Amino acid sequence: MRRRSVLSLVLLAVVTLVLSASRAADFAFPLQANSVRLAVIGDTGTGKQPQIDVARQMVKSRTAFPFEFVITLGDNLYTGSRPSDFDKDFAVPYKSLLDAGVQFYATLGNHDKTNERFYKPFNMNGASYYTFKKGNVRFFALDTNYMDPKQTAWLETQLREAGNGDWKICYFHHPLYSSAMFHGPATDLRKVLEPLFVKYGVDAVFAGHEHVYERVRPQQGIYYFIEGASGSLRAGNLAPSAITAKGFDTDRTFMMIEIAGDDMYFQATSRTGVAVDSGVIHRTVRPASGGAGHE
Amino acid sequence: MSTKRWIRCRGVSGFLVLSLCMVASRMLAGQGAAPTKEQADDAAGFKEFSSRLQAYLKVQKTVESSLPALKSTDLPELITAYEQALARKIREARPHAKAGDIFTPAAREAFRHASRAALEGPHSANSRAYMQPGAPTPSMRLAVNGIYPDTEPITALPPELLAAFPPLPAEVAYRVVGRTLIVIDVKSQLVVDIARLILPPAS
Repeated sequence: MRRRSVLSLVLLAVVTLVLSASRAADFAFPLQANSVRLAVIGDTGTGKQPQIDVARQMVKSRTAFPFEFVITLGDNLYTGSRPSDFDKDFAVPYKSLLDAGVQFYATLGNHDKTNERFYKPFNMNGASYYTFKKGNVRFFALDTNYMDPKQTAWLETQLREAGNGDWKICYFHHPLYSSAMFHGPATDLRKVLEPLFVKYGVDAVFAGHEHVYERVRPQQGIYYFIEGASGSLRAGNLAPSAITAKGFDTDRTFMMIEIAGDDMYFQATSRTGVAVDSGVIHRTVRPASGGAGHE
Repeated sequence: MSTKRWIRCRGVSGFLVLSLCMVASRMLAGQGAAPTKEQADDAAGFKEFSSRLQAYLKVQKTVESSLPALKSTDLPELITAYEQALARKIREARPHAKAGDIFTPAAREAFRHASRAALEGPHSANSRAYMQPGAPTPSMRLAVNGIYPDTEPITALPPELLAAFPPLPAEVAYRVVGRTLIVIDVKSQLVVDIARLILPPAS
């Protein structure tokens, strides 16, 4: 009897694995004309081999999925902010992408120095928080090391002025939701940011800080992703919880995103090129008051 | 006075007025009665802090205006050179700066009370979790006119804590190392002043 139960469990595990693998294999970016294509990396700046491996995989993946820019979720430079650190932790690993004209839009993590905002390849233009638009997507890059009332007020103004037509994507270092054990969620920050995200219809949020990949089940209609394993990794640190839709903590990863109309296609890829998560988020028509809906 | 300079001066004065308004409104928030002695003392402490800081900002502005503006660059060497030049000139302009010049005793007491209000309570564990780990080594060496170490991370400051402190203009920022509160000059990473034992101990 016990043997039969064990066999059933093994069979179930195998079926689940095969199904998720085939689902990943079925996934394909639509590569629609005029879509917004980007990659997402976080907690990168070690200058070590795993980071370089991820960067190489990004180059490789770009031949099939030509993303135009990259957003970084902070901790861009772990080793310091000497000129050699900028090279070792950023310019050298991503040289091929930079040479190909791929733009990086950085945010600051707790290991970053504020003056990284003056480093042109980070496209921060001297500001530690800023906004930019690509196609039908408005991005908000925040500095969660220092979420003072001034930045909160700025964010509210920017979200309000962005209106309801475009996708709204916020990204920053400290995750509002997390099932990783090392830091856990930044609930203090959540208290301040989540009401604004809900009020003004933010669609998706990307954060790092936890050195794992996690896709969180929608919270108040908003999709949260953690991609903090593009350089550093805390293997086995994820304790999947009720909020976890998918997690991966056994190797380094990066994400690729395509936003085509009201659909956002995403794939998290390991440094060996294995798709560890993928899917599509559909944005439904937004009410005029500013809230967003999803399916 | 040039328009640019007038705007700068207005910016700094505006910061002082805003700080004092915020502090006063916080003191009086939710109270029909006059502020307690502690609240009045804290308001006076913050006022003193803001006015001392304004004096620093005048020095900083003068020094910064003597350097070519720091602009976005592909060359990190230029960023480093700027940081070092600005730090050196600020040090030269305030060679006798010492801990407590800006964080006066009254200001320290006001910051202590504000920190306690923000970090002690039912949500204090969440605030601490946000600040730690990933924070700098509590034993790291800090000195007024010294540089915040390049290799140390910074402590993320909970929004509630930042909202409890007088707001700062973009030139300076609060930093926390262990229980120590620091004001740093953002562009030079110079430690402007230090106040020890301000944050309540983590329970």
